[in-house]
Amino acid sequence: MIPVGILSALILAAIGASIISILLLLGLVLRDVKEGKLW
Amino acid sequence: MIAPVLSPSVALTILVLFGLLWVAFGYVLGRQNRNLDDYMLAGRNVGLAFATATAMATWVTSNTTMTAPQLTYQLGVWGMVGYSLGAVGLLLFAPLAKRIKALLPHGFTSGDFIRERYGNFAWRIFLIISLFYALGWLISLGMAGGILVNALSGLDYHLGMSVILLVCVTYTLLGGLKAVIATDFVQTVIILIGVVFIAILVIRNVGIEPVHAELAQDHPMLLNLLFPAAIMFLFNNLLFGVGEIFHSNVWWSRAFAFRNNVGAKAYWIAGLLWLPIPIVAGFIALAAPSLGLTIPSADMVGPLVVANLLGTAGAVIVFIVIFSALASSLDSLLAATADLITQDIYRGHINKNASDAQCFKAGKFIILTLGLMTWALCLPRLTTLASLLYFTGAFVASAIWPIVFGLYYRWATGLAAALAMICGTVVGLWSYFAIGFYVAALVSCAVSLTVILLVSALQKQSFNFKELGDSTA
Repeated sequence: MIPVGILSALILAAIGASIISILLLLGLVLRDVKEGKLW
Repeated sequence: MIAPVLSPSVALTILVLFGLLWVAFGYVLGRQNRNLDDYMLAGRNVGLAFATATAMATWVTSNTTMTAPQLTYQLGVWGMVGYSLGAVGLLLFAPLAKRIKALLPHGFTSGDFIRERYGNFAWRIFLIISLFYALGWLISLGMAGGILVNALSGLDYHLGMSVILLVCVTYTLLGGLKAVIATDFVQTVIILIGVVFIAILVIRNVGIEPVHAELAQDHPMLLNLLFPAAIMFLFNNLLFGVGEIFHSNVWWSRAFAFRNNVGAKAYWIAGLLWLPIPIVAGFIALAAPSLGLTIPSADMVGPLVVANLLGTAGAVIVFIVIFSALASSLDSLLAATADLITQDIYRGHINKNASDAQCFKAGKFIILTLGLMTWALCLPRLTTLASLLYFTGAFVASAIWPIVFGLYYRWATGLAAALAMICGTVVGLWSYFAIGFYVAALVSCAVSLTVILLVSALQKQSFNFKELGDSTA
């Protein structure tokens, strides 16, 4: 059975990674707009 | 049965408002399309941000936001971890995307590659597999739309499904791949924010420890690391994801559409960013036993947990997230399947001398027809989402090795590829019915590998890769 600590770490890591994803995508689009490389 | 917490009028308002927004995107971007390359492949010049977002959004489907919770509810922790391994498909496709763009700089579809690399027999087998999968996925998405609306607002299944299909068909028709990619970016951000927000609220309102304690007491199998069906599912899902991505024109058309040197990076980043999403979405389902919820149908567990926990606001959020997830995949699939039919059926079989202008027109007609066909097939709610989806696993996994060997090795032959796809599919389907949905892709992939290696070894041929670039130029 998976221990509660590992389950917690898995869930919290996944949430943290998803937050980083949002920031990264917004950062990438700003960079592409600035450099004229969107399309 | 839990009463819907979203009123039908709120649900319709959300559908109409977001629908209008996506259609406006389609209209504005469609005005920039001047030729077939613009319409089908967004001008072949998509930058890294949009490329990453579209790969990610397309892979975040209703099957991520609804089936991941469903499988977590049925298979426990391995269900959500197994579903997240779907990211491996995106990661492994990264080098392939680079190779595809280099080998076929002027290609349009995955069918172009199979035809030029393996000949007409393998091409036609591949088209049957590819179109069957595309239709299966379209039906799965259309049904998911109807189920979502029905679960959250009590609106008729048929009405919700019809509105969602209408919106997606309209903006894809108007804007082509540019509209699909631009809406995908917005939809990705909405999905990520929504899923993270819901998961944080579940943790605040229920907590991970109480969820674990409840499961340990009443549903210990869901926390069991040696749950045999779940472990089979994990590997099956990995191969299914790889098969879906490697063969489907959804991903090939993007490889052609992305700017030079962007494809590999975009698929890598998209895979890494996608990985945690099924875990976050799946975790929501683990809260169902702690909340004492009775789940009438496993594919409704995600929306019902959120609606029960967060009331109307939660229902609105989950509604928007799942609508975005549905739209981001439906539009991509509509556009890519229409491309495949236009290029490989219309130009490949019906009108071999068709001009780009004729294909442009045919493509629009095909998007419309595909939408209507999907709508008609979604009218009866045939099966649960997961079993419908996994039925196609036997088909797509059989194409993995013919694609990989075809892209990289000279010795893979057309006959071997065709037989590998046929045998893999047939035996995979047999295992689907004889053993279970969770082994169809595994068996299909293994059989396909054996056949392509054996037959190619017997034929001893060598392919010249230079022929590929010349033929699509």
